[in-house]
Amino acid sequence: MTHEEARARLSALLDGALPDREAVQVEAHLEGCSSCREELAQLRTTVTLLQEVEPMKAPEGFSAEVRRRIERLAQATQHSPWTRLRAALSWRSWSWRTVTAAAAVVMVGVFAVNLLREAGVPGGATRVRMPELALDVSKVGEGARTLAQAVPPSAGPGEPVSMRRVIRTGQMAIEVERFDAAASRLFAIAEGAGGFVADSSFSDEDGVPRGTFVLRVPAARFSEVVAQVEKLGTVKRRQISGQDVTEEFIDLEARVRNLARQEARLLALMDRATKIPDLLAIEGEVARVRGEIERLTGRLRFLANKVDLATVQAEVSQKPKKSEGALWDFKQTLERVRTAFLNTVRQMLGAAESLVALAAALLPVALLGALAWWLLRRGFRRADRIP
Amino acid sequence: MTFDERDLISRSRSGEIEAFDLLVRLHQDRIYNLAYRITGNREDASDAAQDAFVRAYQALPRYREDAAFSTWLHRIATNAALDLVRRRPASTHGELHPEVPAGDNLEAVVDRREITRRVHAALGHLTVEYRTAVVLRDLQGLAYGEIARILQVPLGTVRSRLARGREAMRAQLTDLVSAEG
Ligand SMILES: [Zn+2]
Repeated sequence: MTHEEARARLSALLDGALPDREAVQVEAHLEGCSSCREELAQLRTTVTLLQEVEPMKAPEGFSAEVRRRIERLAQATQHSPWTRLRAALSWRSWSWRTVTAAAAVVMVGVFAVNLLREAGVPGGATRVRMPELALDVSKVGEGARTLAQAVPPSAGPGEPVSMRRVIRTGQMAIEVERFDAAASRLFAIAEGAGGFVADSSFSDEDGVPRGTFVLRVPAARFSEVVAQVEKLGTVKRRQISGQDVTEEFIDLEARVRNLARQEARLLALMDRATKIPDLLAIEGEVARVRGEIERLTGRLRFLANKVDLATVQAEVSQKPKKSEGALWDFKQTLERVRTAFLNTVRQMLGAAESLVALAAALLPVALLGALAWWLLRRGFRRADRIP
Repeated sequence: MTFDERDLISRSRSGEIEAFDLLVRLHQDRIYNLAYRITGNREDASDAAQDAFVRAYQALPRYREDAAFSTWLHRIATNAALDLVRRRPASTHGELHPEVPAGDNLEAVVDRREITRRVHAALGHLTVEYRTAVVLRDLQGLAYGEIARILQVPLGTVRSRLARGREAMRAQLTDLVSAEG
């Protein structure tokens, strides 16, 4: 590695953001280059200085101003549906040729975007700047929704109903073929079981996508969910635990009952107290008891949530690719084309569905309108006949 | 993401403005800081940060909870700030270039205020791309992967922009960094 190459990598080295092989090479260069060592030291100090910068507070009344703008916006859009409807109705002035051409262009465009997305072209989606769109990873969520519909909510494994309260936790590390597909599946599994993904993080630091997903699912579906998650790939590590909190539950409930009784007694006492010092003392005691009740019920709620919703933490990593050497992976290309095609079809079906839904939503309004029109006309006709 | 925040997000989504108001209060300082360091002055920062929250409110139906809400906000706010910076002529960066007295003595610059002032001034001399990378990483403390998603650029680009940006900062703060090192 040359001096310039090493120098350009010092910043990433500071953050531990270099691939291992490059880091070793830069370290080796540093051994023999005092100028780079000095530069590294100065960069480190620079970063420390940057981190020293004092954070500022948003100006006074900031959130109120945001709120005002949002409310004004909501008022403005109330007028627009009519304008939008009129614009939509003006399609009658279009010729069939224009409509067909436009549809074809849209289809080709959607297909191309899907194909680019499949191919993982970095600039594929970037060229159009849409600041308000969700992050790239949001596609995972979209996939998950469609998948979730495909997965029928299978019946629970029929666990015996018991009064034991157990916090179930599962942790597993899984190696999968395709990270994106696995991520989609995880969301689908969570939703299919009536749960959700409470937290997720992704990284693809050295070209190997990996991520951690925390699924919260109804306790009754726990083992089923674990089995589904493990089917995603090769299980590298697994840890299942169950913490029985029945005793703590019973104890907490009893203590809350006792404290509530104590509070009621104190309140009754307070009604009868006449001297100020007595009143103050009782009031202090009431506050203490109330605080304790709140603390205990908080703990109860926390436990109940943990018991009702089991936690499954999946660390997913993608298998390192082997077919790097091949000049052109025809099978993979075919797969991409296929997926892009299916995505296009799916999106068009989605659009059609929205149209049908819109028509259905408007139908009652149209019927009412027709009825009103008919009644009005009848009224007018009758009025005409009156001499 | 905490449980309460998820709750606030879903309530905001169904149009509950109180819930969104709370979300704004939770994130406004961090987002304002980001906007201030990118745009360089309070007025633009306030505009950009407000724009960001209004856009976020409108885009909320499209937000999926698989990305941290704060990262998502950072992306919107970064774009809002960059929009402002690119729309305005470079000359309005006034506050970013305060006079730096020659021959600052060390005792004075050890002061955090002074460091803040010097860093802010130095940031103003960076191109907007380098400045944004440095602000996201070293002032806002985001990870490389998050920055790549926010800026919609590959990881390698984040690395190189950050390297150039930090180098430019080092060169401008050389009296401080060489004295301490
Ligand atoms: Zn060197």
